[in-house]
Amino acid sequence: MKLITAIIKPFKLDDVKNALNAFGITGMTVSEAMGFGRTRGHTEVYRGAEYTIDLIPKIRLEVVVDSADAEKVIDVIVKAASTGAIGDGKVWAVPVDHIVRVRTGERGLDAI
Amino acid sequence: MGTRERRERSDANDAMLAQLFQGALTVSSINPAQISLAAVGGYGRGELSPGSDLDLLFTHSGLSEKDLAAFIKAMLNPLWSDGRQVDYSVRTPAESKAVSRGDIKVILGLLDMRHLQGNEALTSKIQAMARSQWRRKIHNYLPMVRSSVDVRADQFGELAFLLEPDLKESRGGLRDITTIRALAKSEFVEIELERLATAEALLANVRDELHHVTKRGRDQLLLTEQDAVAAHMEFADADALMLELSRSARAVDYVMQLTWHRIEERLHRISLKRPRRTLLAKGVERYRNEISIPAEYDTTPDPGVGLRAAAFAAQRGMRLSLESALRLSKYFTDLPTPWPAQSRDDLVALIGAGESMIDVFEVLDQEGLISRWIPEWEHVRFLPQRNVLHHHTVDRHMLETAVLAAALTREVHRPDLLLVGALFHDIGKGYEGRDHSEYGAELIVPLALRLGFNEEDAQTLGAMITHHLLLPSIATRRDIDDPQTIEYTKSVVGSAELLELLHGLSIADGEATGRTAWTEWKASLVAELVARTRAAMKGITPPPQPELTQAQLAKVNRKELSVEIVHRGEFLDIEIIVPDSPGLLSAVTAVLTVNRMDVRSAKTRTVHDFAVMNWIVSIDVNVPVTSQSRLHDMVERALESTEDLTLRINDRIRTYARRPGIPVPPPVVTAINQIVTDATILEVRMHDRPALLHTIATAISDFGVDIRGAIVSTLGAEAFDTLYITDLAGAPLSPERADELAQELATILGGKD
Repeated sequence: MKLITAIIKPFKLDDVKNALNAFGITGMTVSEAMGFGRTRGHTEVYRGAEYTIDLIPKIRLEVVVDSADAEKVIDVIVKAASTGAIGDGKVWAVPVDHIVRVRTGERGLDAI
Repeated sequence: MGTRERRERSDANDAMLAQLFQGALTVSSINPAQISLAAVGGYGRGELSPGSDLDLLFTHSGLSEKDLAAFIKAMLNPLWSDGRQVDYSVRTPAESKAVSRGDIKVILGLLDMRHLQGNEALTSKIQAMARSQWRRKIHNYLPMVRSSVDVRADQFGELAFLLEPDLKESRGGLRDITTIRALAKSEFVEIELERLATAEALLANVRDELHHVTKRGRDQLLLTEQDAVAAHMEFADADALMLELSRSARAVDYVMQLTWHRIEERLHRISLKRPRRTLLAKGVERYRNEISIPAEYDTTPDPGVGLRAAAFAAQRGMRLSLESALRLSKYFTDLPTPWPAQSRDDLVALIGAGESMIDVFEVLDQEGLISRWIPEWEHVRFLPQRNVLHHHTVDRHMLETAVLAAALTREVHRPDLLLVGALFHDIGKGYEGRDHSEYGAELIVPLALRLGFNEEDAQTLGAMITHHLLLPSIATRRDIDDPQTIEYTKSVVGSAELLELLHGLSIADGEATGRTAWTEWKASLVAELVARTRAAMKGITPPPQPELTQAQLAKVNRKELSVEIVHRGEFLDIEIIVPDSPGLLSAVTAVLTVNRMDVRSAKTRTVHDFAVMNWIVSIDVNVPVTSQSRLHDMVERALESTEDLTLRINDRIRTYARRPGIPVPPPVVTAINQIVTDATILEVRMHDRPALLHTIATAISDFGVDIRGAIVSTLGAEAFDTLYITDLAGAPLSPERADELAQELATILGGKD
């Protein structure tokens, strides 16, 4: 199993959520996040307008999937979250050893 | 479900306890004459909800600890193993007396004591002791009762306005009713207990039903349980139930307030010191730390007196007296349409007072005055809203929003519109099938016109309500990096004035809704959207210097000092034409201040070495109005020297500074350097206070620059002054010097507030 974490632009949340739903993923954890990547402290030019960028509000979305699906899920997120501009965010995956559904005690893939 | 069931439940428990008591006696060595068992608290009153604890008191005549422990264990063990919640105390009569002296919970419990088993004489002894102690020592108990009521209200909130209230502990809940009943038993003041009957029955029944539904003794009525409770009690829906609960809690709260009011009255009567009455304005006085309308004052020809008194109370952080509110309601005369400017200002000053406004507003609302002044209000009174974000009913949410908006008044150019917009932003809620923003805007425009706002301001308020969710919604759902998003926001909002108002309203609305709706994360997104949109706009254009009329120019050409006073109702319209000199504004404001003339608005302009000043001032009711010729003389003398005036003014500022005030945001002073005119523009936004303009003018003169013109306005309790400043040679200041002046002025103004 893999834990996929995506940092995306806030307004892209609905798109990403819908795309994941269409893929068959219904559960996810979403939280508000602040951060910056390479763009910090620069004045960026975007579609002809100049902006100074500081600590930027983002959405952090987490979902645990079967390892076999991980690549596809990452593709789905990247495709849905992309605007082609700076600050679109990042997606990464890490291995997950254990997962338990608290209510039933189910473990592993059953608990996803 | 009802009183009968609670009584039967109590009786059943009595019978069960009797059996257990007798059973325990047979296995212990205790003589039944040495011990008694009594019910206290709610159980003592013979009313038990399904999930309530059994509150018990064992009284003994000096039994050994070992014997007692064995007896109680034998008696209560079956209950404990049954999982029953039992709360018991074991005391001798002397111990009960000692404990009840300093513990309000204990004495309140004993007042409801009821004998169950054992030696009845022991129980009677305690009952008699408790009653007599309560009556004789009520003076000692009152502060304890008061503080316990306040602490509870702080911790559990107000039942009437919470979407998930605690039926027992919240203000206006069952525990308050018990407290009121106990106060009635002291016979210290008269209390109309029958006013509580309906409310008590409803609250108790809802609580029973809640215990049934949850199968527990919890008293907080959560959203998830409201449907089931409403259905069991045969209400149309949960909203109908919550509306009734709100009404009941308000009734309880009102009796509580009335009770305290009477208690304080009586305490004051007992003390020998006679409280002073201070007349603050026409028909408004301060009496015993409350603002009231004198009993002999005829309110009928003065419909504005209610709002005037309310504004004074809120701005001073005091309460509005209940008698005054009762009288206003009894002899109600409606305000004319549109409202006079002063009443509108009073409303704004009331709303703008922040936290202290809520109590004043409540008193007006309970007497139905708000709904009579503003009929649109009636529809949202106690209106529940069922979603996970809100905590409060619609009316309380709007009040909270206004309180938070009061902290943001420095951020906008029109604090009055921000405050009024905040108070009414959800006024369109609760109309089936209508979008609350759109319908709210339809309601607010005619309302604003009725309140006396001009057409343009009314439209601005309409736009504020229509778009009050716009900024958060765009900021979280659209790409703010995209210039098209900014362009769209700009096209919808239109002006920088509306943008800053919407920003203020979004923050206040969000914060009032709660942490789930408004996080720093969301705030930063909205702030970013606003910053970008503002950058794409032209910015706010300050008004040009005032124009002079032909008549005024003619007077200027006569080249002599002229002072003219015109009476306009509660205001004076004063025109002063005077040769210009450094420090002129400071001198003239000094004269106005010592004559107790409070500047509401002003326009001054200097042409050909003469200044033309138009003042609108309100006058202190406690002093006679200065005549035109005297004012003329005083201005003439002030032009030579202001020394003696300054002393008197400083005295006055000091006197006022001692008055209890309310917290206000710090002043904001901005130099506007971007716009090039023949003078530097300085904007001052702050809370109004005595001699404010004099302080500003003196500070500017001391800085060694000249004031060429000024536009002064007071919006409620907020002062907004635009000053046109040049150096002594008549040229605008350099941006650096202008910023330096702004900073220095801000320090001076901030330090004295």
